[in-house]
Amino acid sequence: MSEEQSEIEALIKQRIAEICAAMGEDASVLDADTLIPASGLIDSAGLLELLAWYEQRFGIDLAPEDITIDNLGTLRQMATFAIARRRARVTTTPTGDH
Amino acid sequence: MAVPVHAPRINNNDDLVKVVSLPVPVGIAVARGGVLAQVETDKAIVDVECPDDGYVISQVAQVGDVVAVGSVLLWLGRSADEAAPATAEPASPTALEGSARSGTGPTARARLLLQRHGLAPDAIPISADRLTAEDVERYLAARDSSGTPSIGDASFRQARPAANRPDIDGELHELSGNERGVLRTVTWSRDFAVPGYIEIEYDHGAWESHAAAFSTQHRLMLSPMLALMAWRLVQLASETPRLNSTIVGESRYEYRSVNLGFTVQAEDLLYLAVIRDAAALAEARFVTAIADVQRRAVAHKLAHDELSGATVSFSSMGRWNVSRHVPVLPPFTSLIVAQARSKSGASVLGATYDHRVLSGFQVAKALHQIGKPPTSVDRPESKS
Repeated sequence: MSEEQSEIEALIKQRIAEICAAMGEDASVLDADTLIPASGLIDSAGLLELLAWYEQRFGIDLAPEDITIDNLGTLRQMATFAIARRRARVTTTPTGDH
Repeated sequence: MAVPVHAPRINNNDDLVKVVSLPVPVGIAVARGGVLAQVETDKAIVDVECPDDGYVISQVAQVGDVVAVGSVLLWLGRSADEAAPATAEPASPTALEGSARSGTGPTARARLLLQRHGLAPDAIPISADRLTAEDVERYLAARDSSGTPSIGDASFRQARPAANRPDIDGELHELSGNERGVLRTVTWSRDFAVPGYIEIEYDHGAWESHAAAFSTQHRLMLSPMLALMAWRLVQLASETPRLNSTIVGESRYEYRSVNLGFTVQAEDLLYLAVIRDAAALAEARFVTAIADVQRRAVAHKLAHDELSGATVSFSSMGRWNVSRHVPVLPPFTSLIVAQARSKSGASVLGATYDHRVLSGFQVAKALHQIGKPPTSVDRPESKS
């Protein structure tokens, strides 16, 4: 696992912990491959808050079809998706070099 | 061809409305359903929505004007450079020549009285072939004796804030846009609707199972349960036009499309996000559309036309474990359904309804239908 991947996973986990704490839940048990919506730690409103933060924090515009458990279901998938979007953005951004 | 947008009647007692905002400048495109103006009486502020896609090509009224109901506020065109008619109707009630009811218009003395009291000639019953000063005086006497001041009455406008202010020392704070929207909603409900409330218990487990199966099938991240319940409401509103209607004058106004209002809490704000023509969507697309507006509401990124125009609504306070949630009817609607689930596990579906339109039996029947998730037999053919 890359350093970038683990850093992003840690950031997302920290945000989930904050959201869960506000609802009186402890998210410290969440591991990288736990299916977040099925964990029982965070409800739909909390997930919406998480997604809004995720888009803003990583500069991602999620399309409705992006929001699936296959893309964003676990900490690992969320981090992988963010890295992939970052790379896609870098490769499609014109640099001005010829 | 230019299309006029008129000042709406907000209630039966007010023949004048005050223009409080004209958010779309001349030359700017506006979509059908977008807000072109806000007008106010002493009872409510309402949005004047755009009847069709187009451009604002002329503003006849100005912010602050008190205009007659039915007068032209502004003109819409198909392009930004289309010319508004040269003979555009005046919006000001003080422009009194050419009353629609009489070829000769009010008498000179009547015109003077109308100007003095800020009245529109069309508001006043005439006793002969033209409006006379006696007609105006009779109207004023009847109005004054009713104790109902009009928004056009300058003394009332000045007196109102002081009358509402408590004697205890404090300071005024302007309401935010969201707070004004809430105020508009509760004021409409208080002044126009006759709200009733009914609730039933429903089988939450059956709905959870249905939602879980749907979620697995569509690989969803967010629970679709509330969206699926709202979809059931949309179907019922589509099949039963009375659920999707309001009262206009002494008639029932049935909306042609079902615009589903769905409450979304975003921090301390409560949005009523609107999915227009929801019955035209397939179930899965509707669920995606709800998730999309929820997500954008949480990020405070909803467009203006996604926050108005609901014809029937759904709300939930399931997250907060309240045992009862009595929602307020959004303006010009007759039904809002609310889901709640207490800590002890009791699950209820409640509905606030406008008794002018719906009976308790009709609402109870609808709630029982929403309370049961659809079986495969109930499901309509997929729409694209």
